[in-house]
Amino acid sequence: MTTNASAEAQGSRVGPPPPFDPELAAALEIIREQLPSSFSIEMIPALREGVALSEGADLDLTRDGAFAVEERTVPGPQGAPDISLLICRPTRAAAAVPVVYHVHGGGMVIGDNRTGVAEMLDWAQELGTAVVSVEYRLAPEHPHPALVEDCYAGLKWTAEHAGELGFDPERIIVAGESAGGGLTAAVALLARDRGAPALLGQVLLCPMLDDRNDTPSSRQMAGLGVWDRAANHMGWTALLGDARGRPDVSPYAAPARAEDLSGLPPAFIDVGSAETFRDEAVAYASGLWQAGGRAELHVWPGGFHGYDLMAPQAALSQDTKAARLRWLRRLLEN
Amino acid sequence: MKELAGRLAALDPDAGAALQVISYFDRLIEGRAGLESLVRGAAVLSGCPARLVDEERGVRVRVEADGLRRDDGGPLDPAWPSTPLTPDGPPAVWLERTGVSDGVHAMVLERAAAAARVVLDRTRGRAPEKAREADPASVEVLLDPSAAEHARRQAAVRLGLRDAAAARVVATAEGGPLVEAVPATGDSTPTTGGRRAGIGPAVPVGDLPASWAAARTALRFTAEGTDQDPGPRTVYADELGGLALLADTVGPTTEPVPDVRALERAVATAPWVASTLNAVAFSTSLRAAAAELNVHHSTLQDRLVQAEHWLDWPVHDPHGRLRLQLALVLRRLHRNAAR
Repeated sequence: MTTNASAEAQGSRVGPPPPFDPELAAALEIIREQLPSSFSIEMIPALREGVALSEGADLDLTRDGAFAVEERTVPGPQGAPDISLLICRPTRAAAAVPVVYHVHGGGMVIGDNRTGVAEMLDWAQELGTAVVSVEYRLAPEHPHPALVEDCYAGLKWTAEHAGELGFDPERIIVAGESAGGGLTAAVALLARDRGAPALLGQVLLCPMLDDRNDTPSSRQMAGLGVWDRAANHMGWTALLGDARGRPDVSPYAAPARAEDLSGLPPAFIDVGSAETFRDEAVAYASGLWQAGGRAELHVWPGGFHGYDLMAPQAALSQDTKAARLRWLRRLLEN
Repeated sequence: MKELAGRLAALDPDAGAALQVISYFDRLIEGRAGLESLVRGAAVLSGCPARLVDEERGVRVRVEADGLRRDDGGPLDPAWPSTPLTPDGPPAVWLERTGVSDGVHAMVLERAAAAARVVLDRTRGRAPEKAREADPASVEVLLDPSAAEHARRQAAVRLGLRDAAAARVVATAEGGPLVEAVPATGDSTPTTGGRRAGIGPAVPVGDLPASWAAARTALRFTAEGTDQDPGPRTVYADELGGLALLADTVGPTTEPVPDVRALERAVATAPWVASTLNAVAFSTSLRAAAAELNVHHSTLQDRLVQAEHWLDWPVHDPHGRLRLQLALVLRRLHRNAAR
C-alpha cells in the first residue's frame, strides 16, 4: 500500500465535520467574505498589509490611562537583530505585578505585536497584570528557529529586567493564540530545557502545534471555516520549508513533536471542535497529563478557528473568554 | 481581525450590507439558534442595544452591542425604530438608537423580526391547534376541574398557554377538544378545521374547564348544515343566551315534546321540509327564506301551507314562529345527545 492510499484510507474513517455553532456559522459567512478563500506564500505581502490596516493604530493601548505603554528595543538572540517589545504597565500598581508575556498569532507569516493584544489588556485590567508583547521575525523570510528564538530572547529579557519594570519575576505567564499559541508552547519547552526563566503558566489559545498537518480534525475541516488544512500547510511550509512533516522536525518548531512534556508550567488550552487544530490541541493536553503535568482543556463545540476574536459578541465567545479569565484568576490567586 | 459590527460598518451600507444581514439571520434560523442569538445578531449588526418584547408570550430579551445580555434596560422609547412580529401586531423588535436610521437598520429589524417569528412559532407554539391536539393528555388535565391546580398550570405551560391572558375551548363533533389562546384585542376566528364546533367563551386559563363545558353545550346546538339536518355548523356558547338552559332539559332518554314529534313526522314526509322550515324559522323574512332556499316566493308559500297542515300549527305569526324555532332547536338537541 502506498503512503497516499493509507492516508486516504485514514481519511475515509473521519465523519462529516461537526456543525458550527449557529451564531458562529452566521458570523463566519460574513467573515469569510473578507478573507481570501485560500492562502499561498505569494499572498503573504498582501495579507500583511491587510492585517496592518484592520488592526490599526487606532487601538487605545493605554485604556484611558490605565496602562503606561512603551515600545522597547531589546537584544535579540545571539548574533541576530534586536527585537521590539510592546510593554504595557498598569499605572496604578503599588507592588510588583504579574506579567503576561504575549506571542501574537498569524500563521507564522503575518501579524505584529499588537495583534491580539486587546484581550491581553482585558486580562490585565481584570487581574492587575502587565502585558509584554513580542515583535518576532516572520516566515518565510525568516525560517525556524528565528521566530521561537526571538520570542525566547524577549521573554528572557523581560524576566531579567522584571525588577526595573515593576514585574514579579515569579509570576510570568506566557500566552499566545494560533501560531502564537504554538510558539508559546515552544518557548515554554525552551525555558524548561535552558533552565530559565521560571514560568507560572502557559496559555495556549487554539494553538498551532503540529507541522504534520494530518490529524483527523485537519482532514475533517479541510476547506471549511478559517485556517483550514491547506492554509496550515502553507504556514508550516513557510516556517520549515522542505523539512515540514519530516521525522526530524524540532519540538521547538512544532511542540507536538516533543517526546518529553514533563516539567512544564500549568497549561490552559482551548480550541474549537470545528477547526483544524482540535485534535492536536487535545493531544497536547493529553500529553501534559500523561507526563504528570497540570492542564485545563476546553474544546468549545462548533467553534471555528479564532471565533472568539472574529465574533467576540457570540455567546460561545463570551463563555470562552470567561473560562480563560477564571483559570488565570485561580492561577494568580494560588 | 476586527469585530463583526466593524466589519459590517466598513461595508457598502447599501446592497452588500443588506445581503449580509439577510444571510446572517438565515444562517441563525438554519442552525436553529434561540431568541437570544437573534437579538444579539440585531444588536451586533446595528451597533446598539436591541430588544425583543412579546407580551403575549411573556418574552423579553435585551442584548447590548457587545453581545452581553442585560434585560434591565429601562422603559422602551417610542422614538426608537421598531417592528412588529406580524403586520398588525404591536412593536416587538426594537433598536435602542435615535437619529436617522439607514437601510441596514431597517433590514436588521425586518430580518430579526422574521427570524424571531420562526423561533417563537417553533418554541412557544404559534401553531397551537396542532401542538395542542397532539398532546391530549395535557389538554385532559387542563380541562379537568378536579385536577390539582398546579397540575393544570403545568399542563397550560406545556401547551404554550403560560402567558395567555385568555383562552377558550373548541369542542368538535369528531376528535378531542382544542384549546386556543385568544388575543386580548380583536376578534379571532376559532380553529374548527371545517368540523362542526361549539366555541366556548374566552376565559382565564384557570377557568378553562368552564369554557369546555360551555363549548360542549354549544356543540349540541350545531347541525350538519345539510337539507335533512339544517342549521349552523359553528355555535358560540356566548351567543346561546337562554337557549343554553334547554340543553339541560333534553337528555338521551327525554321524551320529545309533541311539537318535536310533529316536526319529525313532517320532516319524514317530504325531503324539502327540514330545510324549508329551518329557513322560514331563522330568516328575517319569507323573501329572504325563499332566496336562501333558492325557490320562488310562491313555491315557498305553497310549501308552508303543506307544512302547517302537517305540523298542525301556524308558523306565520310570531308565536307560531317561536314554537317552530324551539321545535327545530330541540330536535337538534335530541339528535346531538349529551356526551
